[in-house]
Amino acid sequence: MNEDIIDYALDYAQKRGVEYAEVRAQSQIEEFLLLRSGILETYVSAVDSGFCVRVIANGGIGFASTNKWAQEEAKGIVDLALKYAKAANRKEKITFAEEKGVETKWIVKQKENIEDVSPEEKITKFVDIDKALASCSVKIAATMSQCTINLTSKYYVNSEGSRISATVPKIGALLLITVAEEGKTEQAYEQFGYSGGWEAFRKWNVEEKMIHNAKVLRDVITKAKTVKPGNMDLVCGSEVTGIAAHESCGHPMEADRILGREMSQAGRSFIYKDGPFWIGTRIGSDCVTIADDPTIENSYGFFAYDDEGVKARRRFLYKDGLINEFLHNRETAARLGTRSNASSRAVNYDREAIVRMSNTFVMPGDATEEELIKDVKYGIYMKSFTEWNIDDKRFNQRYVGREAYLIEKGELKHPVARPVIETTTPKFWTAVDAVSKKLEFDSATCGKGDPMQGVPADTGGPCIRLRGVYVK
Amino acid sequence: MSDILNKTEEIVKKAKGLGADEVVAKTTFGKYRQVRFSNNQVDITVAWNDYVTDVALAWKKRMVATQIRNFQDVDANIKKLMKLAKVSKENPMFGGFAKGNFKYAKSNADKRLQNLEDPIGYVSEAIGAAEKEAGSHVDSGGILFTKFEDVYLVSSEGPIGVDSRSAIELSIRAFSEREASGHGVECSSSLKDFKPSRVGAKAGEIAKLAKNPRIGEEGVYDVIFDPLIFGSSLGVWGSMVSAFQVMIQFSVFVGKLEQKVAPEFVTLKDNPADYSISNRVFDDEGVPTRENVFIDHGVLKTYLHNTSTAKMFKTQTTSNAGLVFPNPWNIEVEPGNMRKDELFKEVKRGLYLTNTWYTRFQNYAKGDFSTIPRDGIFLIEKGEVRQSLKDLRISDNILNMLNNIAAFSKERQHVHWWGEADPPSLSPYALIKDVHITKSK
Repeated sequence: MNEDIIDYALDYAQKRGVEYAEVRAQSQIEEFLLLRSGILETYVSAVDSGFCVRVIANGGIGFASTNKWAQEEAKGIVDLALKYAKAANRKEKITFAEEKGVETKWIVKQKENIEDVSPEEKITKFVDIDKALASCSVKIAATMSQCTINLTSKYYVNSEGSRISATVPKIGALLLITVAEEGKTEQAYEQFGYSGGWEAFRKWNVEEKMIHNAKVLRDVITKAKTVKPGNMDLVCGSEVTGIAAHESCGHPMEADRILGREMSQAGRSFIYKDGPFWIGTRIGSDCVTIADDPTIENSYGFFAYDDEGVKARRRFLYKDGLINEFLHNRETAARLGTRSNASSRAVNYDREAIVRMSNTFVMPGDATEEELIKDVKYGIYMKSFTEWNIDDKRFNQRYVGREAYLIEKGELKHPVARPVIETTTPKFWTAVDAVSKKLEFDSATCGKGDPMQGVPADTGGPCIRLRGVYVK
Repeated sequence: MSDILNKTEEIVKKAKGLGADEVVAKTTFGKYRQVRFSNNQVDITVAWNDYVTDVALAWKKRMVATQIRNFQDVDANIKKLMKLAKVSKENPMFGGFAKGNFKYAKSNADKRLQNLEDPIGYVSEAIGAAEKEAGSHVDSGGILFTKFEDVYLVSSEGPIGVDSRSAIELSIRAFSEREASGHGVECSSSLKDFKPSRVGAKAGEIAKLAKNPRIGEEGVYDVIFDPLIFGSSLGVWGSMVSAFQVMIQFSVFVGKLEQKVAPEFVTLKDNPADYSISNRVFDDEGVPTRENVFIDHGVLKTYLHNTSTAKMFKTQTTSNAGLVFPNPWNIEVEPGNMRKDELFKEVKRGLYLTNTWYTRFQNYAKGDFSTIPRDGIFLIEKGEVRQSLKDLRISDNILNMLNNIAAFSKERQHVHWWGEADPPSLSPYALIKDVHITKSK
């Protein structure tokens, strides 16, 4: 990464008389392994490196990027960004919420350096997972495994004096399995993510989790019964709690959606000015507090400073059942008269930074998982999910159980095949009456933006108990 | 031969010199421009310039790949890639890259899309058309996207070619009320047939019709799918015909070759034709692209292949090679024989859906899924739109829906939207019987 070119681009932009300018460079060593049923299909290894310029001029924003590291190219993209900013000709001029310039460096340390792990070892890791699955007494019809490694260096400068360098290694894995028993199939996927080094594999327990998934799918085929639809109690495992927190709290609390900036793609939000829901409105029961926190060490969504140079901190989105704090970048914060809370993220140098979650989770309570179940006369324990979705105002959602059990008189009974909860955001969160104390996380790739920017994120929570919800 | 083609060929020669068995290199010089707008104003205008060479090489049935972004680093990159190949694992099923010397059709890329002078003008035109249709209070947002790529491909197995690829897309969503919106897309490979006012008017028309929605009822409905939402289904079906998806069992079409999967009048093709935003004259192995009928009169005839998957399935490549596995380019539906209005008259009581998002599966092999219609959702009675609805979900099965297709319109539209109606398609209005609709409780 040639920092001189970045500094030159910023200097040149400032000389052109912009209201604001920033230059963001990103270089990454990328590796991607794809295996099908234990056979390596391909191993991709590449280096991507480039930079972008974002300027405000005449109240409009222009953005241009390139992967050609040359002064002349830098000059060209500054001119292009400036031209586009001026052409916007907006009635409402864009400004950014105030921030002081920051000079700093941040690094995510690796305990076991990924660079020291040979390609053979990386391949073997996934081949061995397939071998373990093949010998786990479940008929596996097919598997697919992907491993993504990104060793990223960033350099960010802006016209307010910020100068931030970062080094962030991230590693992710996605495994899909199809189980075939008694002439029927069931499928599951599991995603893993980590900011740090190769030690990730020791923390993930991939083999154990995938074998567990295979056995769960076999039981769904061979033992599970369907649920008789009706109102009942529902205990959600941390995976279900986490996806609900992400979908029906994190997304609707993104201020760019609230202001309409994502209206034609990811959509708007059920929260809007002068609508029925705003800061301070009740959205859940007293025991529902949901946070988004990029500062959790080694989490998949970790960052110390966001892509506008703002220092990261924990944000309480829903607090004690009330709508509490939106996710902001500097643009949305200015429009709503507040300060950025460091929610601006971009996947690469060639994408604009937009408002994003990091690690979104329900805060733990003080009950045990057993206590939650013990107090249910009749209900479902939905430990994990398969199909899910939510509408673009983030109000109507659906989660279909992957691993689920009937609860009768406080005891877990037989597996239940694909129980479904299809409900609204306020109904879901106001039905929560108890929260367990054990906080667990899963990793995800959160999609938003156009072109699509899939950012690493964790979702999580403890077990939560919902009273009297409709399950089918 | 251009300088870039020479440099691309040098990469192939270097890799061969280092011992690679087969090599394909594809250099793309891309210029991409995008205007994003919301609340009737431009939020940001974005320009990307991207220079990249994709290299895939095989050594003793070990397939590795890289991307080179700087021609100064070629030697080091290729050496590193060969080293990786030598420690990689053999794929016994790897069937090599395409062999032969091919002639390619001439590219029809529109050079005006290299440097569009006034992209914001197109956005203003679309916003104006939505306002004209739905009133000045209408709130519109969306994107204008343009692409111009020069592509140079060299394969050690013979193919060598140059292509230019252009595209322009405008997507606009107009809100007439907080919960009343319409969405339209306009997609073309050239400016010739690109009409921003047409898409703005369509979004405005649906938004106006969608006013005062009430929550719909669960049930089983006959449903008319607008070309945009039907494009989402076509994207899913087309992706499931990729041989790779079949191999990993992420397809309802596993083991169904030569079986009836839809009514007899249903014929679906993959064809990156001239008009399409995914137009190309060769695939990523350098095989000339062509039309592939994959569902012929209701019968599944082929999967989409690269050379390697074709060998596994004992057939020929369908020229759908991507860098790693085969992909559909552009799905075409053979048109029906009814006009759109005649199609509506077929429905005594049903729904008209215009767009959807968030399609997710319980099981790709079985095809159980749900998806959430958005923008205009309408109750149809006696062939007429009676009421705007909201908050409904399609919860059904792909094979059931394919089998329940009752009719296509004569009219077709080239649609593509974000990741939801992707890959692009040439999509009609479609009538599907007995679609299961659910809602929140």
